[in-house]
Amino acid sequence: MAGMSSKRLQKELSKIQGTLPPGITLVSAPDLREWTMDISIIDNPIYPPHETYRMRFSFSPSYPIEAPEVVFVACTSPERKIPLHPHIYSNGIICLDLLDSQGWSPVHNVESVCISIQSMLAGNSKAERPPGDAEFVRSNRQRPRDINFLYHDPKRAFAGGIVF
Amino acid sequence: MEESHYLNCKSRAQNYNPPVDLRLLDYVSIYDNNLMCAICRCPFVDPVVLSECDHVFCRDCIRQSWNSNTSYTPLGPRGDCPTCRTPAKLGPRSATSKILVNLVDELVVHCPKRDDGCKAEVRRCEVQDHVNIYCGYTVIECTDDDCTLPVRRKDAAQGCLHFGVSCLSCHKELQKWKLEAHWRSECADRRVHCDMCKSSVFYRDLEAHRKEACPAMSVSCPGKALGCTSRSKRGHAELHAKSCTFAKLAPVLLKQQERLDEQEAAQKEMSRKLEVLEGGFQNMQGILYPPGVETSQRSADNSLTPSLQERLFGSGTAESTTPTGTAAGYDWTESAVDEDAVSPAETMHTAFSSATSPRQRAAPLPPGPRPADLPEPFSSDFDIASPTGFPPPATNGGPYASPLHHLLSMHESLRDEMTRVSSALSELDGRHSMQILNENLRTREEISYLAAQTAGLQRQVHWLTSSALQRQQGRSPTPGASSSGAGGAMMDAGAGAGVEAAVGAVSTAATALRGAARMVNVGGNGSGSGTGTGMRRGTSEEGRTKL
Ligand SMILES: [Zn+2]
Ligand SMILES: [Zn+2]
Ligand SMILES: [Zn+2]
Ligand SMILES: [Zn+2]
Ligand SMILES: [Zn+2]
Ligand SMILES: [Zn+2]
Ligand SMILES: [Zn+2]
Repeated sequence: MAGMSSKRLQKELSKIQGTLPPGITLVSAPDLREWTMDISIIDNPIYPPHETYRMRFSFSPSYPIEAPEVVFVACTSPERKIPLHPHIYSNGIICLDLLDSQGWSPVHNVESVCISIQSMLAGNSKAERPPGDAEFVRSNRQRPRDINFLYHDPKRAFAGGIVF
Repeated sequence: MEESHYLNCKSRAQNYNPPVDLRLLDYVSIYDNNLMCAICRCPFVDPVVLSECDHVFCRDCIRQSWNSNTSYTPLGPRGDCPTCRTPAKLGPRSATSKILVNLVDELVVHCPKRDDGCKAEVRRCEVQDHVNIYCGYTVIECTDDDCTLPVRRKDAAQGCLHFGVSCLSCHKELQKWKLEAHWRSECADRRVHCDMCKSSVFYRDLEAHRKEACPAMSVSCPGKALGCTSRSKRGHAELHAKSCTFAKLAPVLLKQQERLDEQEAAQKEMSRKLEVLEGGFQNMQGILYPPGVETSQRSADNSLTPSLQERLFGSGTAESTTPTGTAAGYDWTESAVDEDAVSPAETMHTAFSSATSPRQRAAPLPPGPRPADLPEPFSSDFDIASPTGFPPPATNGGPYASPLHHLLSMHESLRDEMTRVSSALSELDGRHSMQILNENLRTREEISYLAAQTAGLQRQVHWLTSSALQRQQGRSPTPGASSSGAGGAMMDAGAGAGVEAAVGAVSTAATALRGAARMVNVGGNGSGSGTGTGMRRGTSEEGRTKL
């Protein structure tokens, strides 16, 4: 399993290092566990075209059977902010069905995930955070992979049900 | 190779070499993307067709994908197609096209031991046989009869290699049969090729080479922060920096940014200080003029004035000695005005002058904790001019460099006013006690004058009594005495008794006067003059001797 995971990531990496769709760039892939990607959004006034957002992909040894963990990260040099979106918490956690264990499919890959998130931002019309953002950011100590379960918990209905 | 030996080798090899996972192979052949499994991104291994949608995956891939999120069902593995999400189950092996299986089996792959050095390229269907039987880099059991340790097949002929050696480069201790693999992939001192610039570097330096030296590594322009998006190979970076305006500006702007940050920090500090000062100032103003003072004070002003007047001008003397009292009052007022001429604040002047004529006062008095024996009007009333604000300090009329300076100077002038008020108050206190003392003195003089007169009367009465007695004795039958007759004595005896009674009355009056004098004296001591007692004694003595 681990062998297949790294084999596939190697293949993806060599493809990504070659060509990528516009607005998506590979920042670093020091190993086959954690990559950083930058995306920028064209054609949406909420996200200025010169602003770039940084995502961190973390792969488990079960990738691609298991979804990678994808979060937005903020940093200062170069400046990267967490994009404003009703499904992106201000700590960078993305509430996206595709990254959920139910919504994930092993046929997805890093490039397709990037494209999905890019289009999710491009189609956004509300410059706001998810409801309960401050409370969630303050209380959450779990990794996104573990929170996914909560997204579909009826008690946390405000965060659930995002399907593309 | 003998048949028995071959079989022996095969069984031994299988012990050391697990079956090859065909999804991990590197392909020599260029294969069509249609032969590629969407999950592992390799040409299909044991391809299987899904019953509903005809999508094809490797058997292991689809099993793993379904096992991870679907529970076991007795009807065999089933789940959603990873590609189209159609619920499906695995089709039978016969459903898979023979052509597809043949196509993927015919693909040529590198030997999985390629990293160890095997250069063999074989058809994928034969790769397991190659590893098991032919590959020189497959690990088998040592050919030495007494040794069961593993050794690579190509080295097996050299006899038992299971003895310790040390690497010539890194001096690591290891067994001889592992030395070649060590040089190939472990030794920190081995030469490797940088995959960017193809130059040969020591493995231990590779990381540093990539980060700092590799001319093929692309680096961003030094002016990247300013917006230059150019990235160029390290070899060309300098050339770009020479022509790039951003790169030239970067150090200057960086320095400016630093200074800007410094200034900002300093500014923050200043504003914090200002805030503290403002808070302190507000507190002081709150202490001086609490809210809701104006109205209550105004009503209190009228009731306050008469008692004030009485305190200032009545001075407690029952007699009409007002000239002295007012003289004393004017005396200190004048000196206070003199003091005002020295101090620049004219507010003090108005306060003092209004104090001298309390009826003319129109402005409310600032309240506050104040000893009861202090006269009310002696406090500065800034609020006459501006009830809410603070009058600009009178020390200079020029414009202020900044609000902070203004505030500071106001603070300073306020402090000055405070010291002036307190000194005026203490001086007033002194004057007041002096005045009381003077009053006491005069009262005492009066009393002692009265006492002396009483004493004179007493003496006269004594003299009258004694002369009457003499006259009586003269009249008595005793010879040598005066010529006064016994009849006169008889008559005078009645008069003598009347005089004795008068003398008694006068002396009780004198005692009462002394008692009054003592009480006044106690009052004088109470007002704080230590020398009062001595002075009283001196004056009363004086008064007595005067008569
Ligand atoms: Zn596969
Ligand atoms: Zn399908
Ligand atoms: Zn081989
Ligand atoms: Zn051996
Ligand atoms: Zn070595
Ligand atoms: Zn290099
Ligand atoms: Zn540049």
